[in-house]
Amino acid sequence: MAHAVISCLHANHAALEAVLADIDQQGIDTITCLGDLVGYGPQPNEVVELIRQRAIPTCQGCWDEDIIEGLNACDCSYPSQLAERRGHLAHQWTAEQLSEENKAFLASLPMSLRRDRLLFVHGSPNSQHEYLLPNMDAFAALERVETAGADTLFCGHTHHPYVRELRDGSIRVRVQEGVASGGPSVEREINLPVRRIINAGSVGEPRHGNTNATYVVHDEATDSVEIREVTYDVERTCRAIVESGLPAIFAWRLRHGFEYAERADDASHVCER
Amino acid sequence: MSQTLLISGPPGCGKTSWILNRLQNHRGPCGYLRLAGYPDEGLAQAPDGGIDLAYLQDQCPRLLDLTDLDQALAPRPEHLLALIELPQFQSPAESGLGGVDRRVIPQLEALHLRPDEHLHFGRDTALPRQDTLDFSSLQAWQRNLAGSVWDPASLSSFWFELVNGAYGDVYRAKALMNLPDGRAFFCNWMVSQEGSQFLPLQTIAPPDCRPERLSRLVVQGKDLDPGAIERTLADCLLSEALPHPSPAA
Repeated sequence: MAHAVISCLHANHAALEAVLADIDQQGIDTITCLGDLVGYGPQPNEVVELIRQRAIPTCQGCWDEDIIEGLNACDCSYPSQLAERRGHLAHQWTAEQLSEENKAFLASLPMSLRRDRLLFVHGSPNSQHEYLLPNMDAFAALERVETAGADTLFCGHTHHPYVRELRDGSIRVRVQEGVASGGPSVEREINLPVRRIINAGSVGEPRHGNTNATYVVHDEATDSVEIREVTYDVERTCRAIVESGLPAIFAWRLRHGFEYAERADDASHVCER
Repeated sequence: MSQTLLISGPPGCGKTSWILNRLQNHRGPCGYLRLAGYPDEGLAQAPDGGIDLAYLQDQCPRLLDLTDLDQALAPRPEHLLALIELPQFQSPAESGLGGVDRRVIPQLEALHLRPDEHLHFGRDTALPRQDTLDFSSLQAWQRNLAGSVWDPASLSSFWFELVNGAYGDVYRAKALMNLPDGRAFFCNWMVSQEGSQFLPLQTIAPPDCRPERLSRLVVQGKDLDPGAIERTLADCLLSEALPHPSPAA
């Protein structure tokens, strides 16, 4: 059975409509959403309501959490002072626009969703704020999947879709037996099973080099993964950003889909709040 | 034997880089003068605000400032290489000294400068052939950033946005920018050339306070949005809490 995974919608209604239409066209009726329904984009209520209307199982993203709990993330969440100031503007605007009912919905979202050995999170199993980048140290990446008890981890947050197989992992341990008596040392090798991280990219704020919305389709029968790109009416969203009074730079970023994205120096840093 | 060269050319053609190279390869005393140039029809000259001189003096600490009248009136040192930079959009009608814009001659005479040679980028083969643009219209905007210190990551984002068109079609941007660790960078970008230059100055200011050296941003382009640039600058510069250096520092 094929299922679709979407992430990082960022209040972009036109992009979400286009992605859902693409999923429907393939006859896929199981969809999971990895959060960040709001933030930066101009239609937070419309996006939340569409997800609720379609009853799409959704886990909570960092933006969904911050809108409910207030901006209590430490400075490490923002890679620069500029990003922080803009993030605060977007946060304030979104908090003012969102209905109480939609805020309550975001507050009700779980940190993760699990289906058998498939785990769905926004950032990582540790935190909605942690970035699992494609070039992250392989052992650290494997640790995230293994300790969460999953074979395949679906995540978002980076806005850059990828599939990463973690294979041929092994840990070699030398154990000294009877240390006091100078006993022999024994070497053990633990072979780790293949694990996989699948990043769904971003529906509402793509940063993979072009403006197309991205999501993934996973076929459980064949265990194949397809990263899909969907065109949508980018200008419609850009116009709405400017008309809503959000910073015009958000529209400029969306219109270009630059691969460049601001990230904290230590992307795997987990905020200790 | 002393030599005085007048080097002209359109924005971003490489005048200052060529001049720096000549200065660094000259064994005797060197002097530099940057003339403001004149706007052409629909083409605004960007006020340099001293960026080029400050950068060249950082790279060549004994460089003479030829605008200094005391130096102009003093006997010229032997083997002086005097380089005069002139921003000029159009290629001169005549070759050699006959093509010098007549309007600059009184300025040069007031400083006792008389070019031995005039070279123009795009005309004279003695200069490197750059991929210069044929400008049809150009706005200029500048901001004095004296005493300002940038959040480094914000500077990186702002520069990326600036040169990729977030604030209008930028053809040329150059700046001297201060960082909190006391370093400063000469940032340089031209639409016809690949990538930006970020060249560190050799002089380091005391860290964690406001350097008092020249700092400025100059932009040339079309449909520029100065208001948006100003708003972004306000979000990139570190707070006023940063102290000015103490007199003893």
